[in-house]
Amino acid sequence: MDAGRHPNIELLDYSEVVEVNGYVGNFQARIKRKPRYIHSDLCTGCGLCTEACVLRGGKGKLMVPSEFDEGMGTRAAAYIPFAQAVPLKATIDPNSCLWLVKGKCSKKCEEVCGTNAIDFDMEESFLDIEIGSIVIATGYKMWDPAQIPDYGYGKSPNIITGLEFERLTNAGGPTAGEILTAEGKVPEKVVIVHCVGSRDERAHAYCSRFCCMYSLKQAHQIKEKTGAEVFSLYIDMRSFGKDYEEFYRRNREEGIQFIQGRPSQVTVDPESGKLFVDVEDIQLGQVMELEADMVLLATAIEPPENADQLASTFGLGRTPDGWFAEAHPKLRPVETASAGVFLAGCAQGPRDVPDSVAHAGAAASEVIQLFNQGVVTIAPTIAQVDEEKCVGCEECIHSCPYTAIWRNHAQKAEVNPALCQGCGTCAAACPSGAITALHFTDDEIVAQIDGLLKLAV
Amino acid sequence: MKKPFEPKVVAFLCNWCSYAGADNAGISRLQSPANILPIRVMCSGRVSAEMILRAFRAGADGVMVLGCHIGDCHYINANHRTVKRIPLLQKILGYTGINPERLILDWVSSAEAPKFARVTADFVDKIISLGPIKDELKVTHPATPVSLPVEEVVS
Amino acid sequence: MIEEIRSKAAGLLEDLDGIVALKETEMGTGPHLFQKGDDTSLLVMEPRYPVSEITSKLQKQFQEARIGIVARGCDARALVEMAKRNQIDPERLFLIGICCPQELADTCHCAEPFPRTQEWPQAEMIGEPAEPGDPNPLVIQYRDKGLEERWEFWQSQFTKCIKCYGCRDICPVCFCDACSLENPLWVEPGLLVPDFPMYHLIKAMHMTTRCVACRHCESACPSGIPLTVLYDLVRTDVEDLIGYIAGAEITALPPLSLTLSDAPIESDLVY
Repeated sequence: MDAGRHPNIELLDYSEVVEVNGYVGNFQARIKRKPRYIHSDLCTGCGLCTEACVLRGGKGKLMVPSEFDEGMGTRAAAYIPFAQAVPLKATIDPNSCLWLVKGKCSKKCEEVCGTNAIDFDMEESFLDIEIGSIVIATGYKMWDPAQIPDYGYGKSPNIITGLEFERLTNAGGPTAGEILTAEGKVPEKVVIVHCVGSRDERAHAYCSRFCCMYSLKQAHQIKEKTGAEVFSLYIDMRSFGKDYEEFYRRNREEGIQFIQGRPSQVTVDPESGKLFVDVEDIQLGQVMELEADMVLLATAIEPPENADQLASTFGLGRTPDGWFAEAHPKLRPVETASAGVFLAGCAQGPRDVPDSVAHAGAAASEVIQLFNQGVVTIAPTIAQVDEEKCVGCEECIHSCPYTAIWRNHAQKAEVNPALCQGCGTCAAACPSGAITALHFTDDEIVAQIDGLLKLAV
Repeated sequence: MKKPFEPKVVAFLCNWCSYAGADNAGISRLQSPANILPIRVMCSGRVSAEMILRAFRAGADGVMVLGCHIGDCHYINANHRTVKRIPLLQKILGYTGINPERLILDWVSSAEAPKFARVTADFVDKIISLGPIKDELKVTHPATPVSLPVEEVVS
Repeated sequence: MIEEIRSKAAGLLEDLDGIVALKETEMGTGPHLFQKGDDTSLLVMEPRYPVSEITSKLQKQFQEARIGIVARGCDARALVEMAKRNQIDPERLFLIGICCPQELADTCHCAEPFPRTQEWPQAEMIGEPAEPGDPNPLVIQYRDKGLEERWEFWQSQFTKCIKCYGCRDICPVCFCDACSLENPLWVEPGLLVPDFPMYHLIKAMHMTTRCVACRHCESACPSGIPLTVLYDLVRTDVEDLIGYIAGAEITALPPLSLTLSDAPIESDLVY
C-alpha cells in the first residue's frame, strides 16, 4: 500500500512487459496495458458494480471462482480482487462478463456506477518507456499436487494445499476465518503433509524452503482454533531462522504430533468422505494409517507460469531448477548476467518473507548504486568487429551468451561494449577472424605459444 | 645417454575456473608436471582450432583445453561452444593420422586443485607413452620467423 | 532435359531480373547472368560448376533484384548453408532445380543427386531424381586404417599441394572476404608445400558444418588430392554427434555457435 501511495512510484497495474531492448542505463520497454473496462482514474473502488453484477446463480450467489481465494470462494464478473487490493479499483473479467462474452446483459453495473467509469469499449493499449534498470520480482506459483495422484488432491474438497488453508484461516476469506471442512464442520483430526512435490524426484528435487515454517504455523492455528488432533508428517524439519527452532519446539509442546515419514497415499472413503493417510513412521519403524477430516498438503512452489516468456523478454538465465539465474550463487544473489537487470525475492529461488525483504533491499541498493554512479565501468577486454572483414554470417551473434552482438544497418556484426563481458567466444567462432578479443588477441596468444615452446627445453 | 622424452604440453586455461584451479594447486603445494605450459584465456570458448593447431605446429606434443564445467561457465554458456569444437578437431586430427589423444578437453573448476594436478599429470604420462609428435608437424624451416629469438625473450 | 531447362529459363525470365547459369561461348563455358531477351539456347549444364557464390554477390549488390539459379542437388545444399549465414536471401531467389544423371551421382558418390526444392519458397524441379550414388570405397575402408597408415596417406597427398587455393575458391560455401587461410598468423606465407597442419586442417575445421559433399574441391585440385574423403568422415561425425546435416534444412542454424539446448552434442563432458 505504501508503494501505491509513493509519489516517485508509478504503478502500471493490469499490465505486461512485452518487449525490452537496450542495455544498462538505456533500456526501452514496451508495456501492454490490458483493458479493465473500467477507467481507473474514475473508479472509486466503491464496489457497487459487484453488488449490481447480473452474473449470479441461484439465490443471487456469485459464481466466478475467486483467484484470490484459491478457488474456494467466488466473485462477480465486475470485481475488486480483495479488500486490500492496490490499486483499489474494480475490473471486469472478459472471460466471464455476460456482455463481453455473449453480448447479452442489462449492464446494471453501468447504471449504478456513480462516476460513469465503466466503458465496455476499452481496448488494450501500449506504453513505450525508457528506463535505466529492471528488477524482476515475479515470485512463484504453487505446484499442482494433482500431478501426483497418490496425494488425492482433487478427490476430496478436504484435501487442500497450504495456500488454500490460508484462505480458510483468513478473516477475509470464504469462511470468515473459521477452520471448517467443506461440509461446514469443525475438523477433529487434521493431517499436515510436508514436502508435497518438494524433495521429490517425481516433481521437484529442491526444497521449497518456507513450507515447514508455515505448516508449523498452520498446525498451531488449528490446535488453537479447533483443538483438533494434528499430525505433521515431515522428512526433515527446516526451522533454520531466528526463533524458528523455538517455534517448532513450542508446537511439539502443544501436543501436535510429529511423524517423520513421507506418506505413500491419501485415500477417501466414498461413503463417509473420511480421509485416510498411509505413512511409515521411520523413527518407530511402524507403518500406520491415519484417519483425518482434513489433509493439508504443504505444496512445492515453482517458477511462475510465464517464466519462459519472462526469461526470453528480459534475457534471464535459468538455473537447472527453473528459477531465474543469479550472477553468482554466493556472492551476487541479486544481479543477473545482464548488467542493469536484477532479481528480487522468489523469482531467484524459494525464500520466506524476511529473506525476501532482505533480497529486495539488496536489489534496490544495486539500482541506487547504479543510478548514483551514473556511469558503468566496463572491462577493456571486450570484443571489436572489423567491419571490412565481416561478411555478416552471424556466427558471432549466435555464440554470444549475452546477446551483446547485433547486426547493424550496414549488415555487419557490431558489439555493444556495455553488454560484452569479454569471453572471446565470438572471436573463436568467426571464420574470417573479423572479431578481435581485445587483450586476448590471436597475435598475443600465438606469441605466448611460440614463446613458451621456444623456451621449454 | 639418451635423455628421457620430456613432452611439451600447452594448456589453455580459462581465467575463472581452470587457471584459478591451477593457481590453487600451486598454493596447495600439489605437484603438477613442469611440462605444462599454461596460456590464460578469459574463457575456454576463446580457444579456436587455429590456435590449437598452431600450438602443435610450434612444437607442442600435446594440447590441453581446460574450462569450467557445463552449467558453471563464468560466461553462462560460452563453454557450450568449446564442448562442440574440440571433439570435432579431435576427429579431424585422428583422420589425418595425428593421435587424437594428444588433444584433451576437460573441466576443472577453481576449487578442483587436486583434479588439476591429476589431469595434467595423467596427460603428460599419456603423451610420454605416445612419444614426441611427428617432426613434420613442427616448424622445420629455419628462415621461418615463428617468434622473437630466444635471447630477446629471456633478457 | 537441357531443352526443358532452357525453355523454363526463358519462361521465368519474363518475370525474374536474371537467371544465373552456365553459358557456352566461343571462348569456353562460364557462368552467365541470363536476362530477358537473351538467347537461352546457349544455356548449358556441363561442365559441373558452382554458381552459388556469384548469385550471392549479385543478390548483395542488387538488393531489389529477384534472381533465378540453375542448381543441382549440391548447389541447392550449398545455397541452404549460405542462406543460414545470410549470404543468400531465399525470398528473392528462384531455384530451378535439376536432377543429376545416375552416372554423375555415382561419380560424385552423391547421397542426394537432386535438390530439396521443399526448402525454398520459390523452386521447381526438372528431371527425374536418380538413386543415391555408390559410396566412396575409400571412405568406407578408411575407419579400419590405423594411425600410421592414415598419416602416411595424408602426408603423401598433402605434399602434392601447390597452395593454389583452388579448393577454397571453388568451394560453394566458402564466402569469407578475409580468409583465415590467407592470414599470415595461421598459414605462413611463402611456404610451398603449405605448412601442415595449418592450411588443410583449418580448412577441414571450417568445413565441419558447411561441407555439402559437392566434390568441387576434389575436381578443382590440380594435384588430385582426395579432400572429400576427409570431409566425408567428419561430416558423418557431425551427423552422429550433433545430429546436423549440412544443406538439409534451411531453418537449422549452424550448430557450433549455439548453446547445448539448441544444438546438443553427444559427449561424456556434457552431463
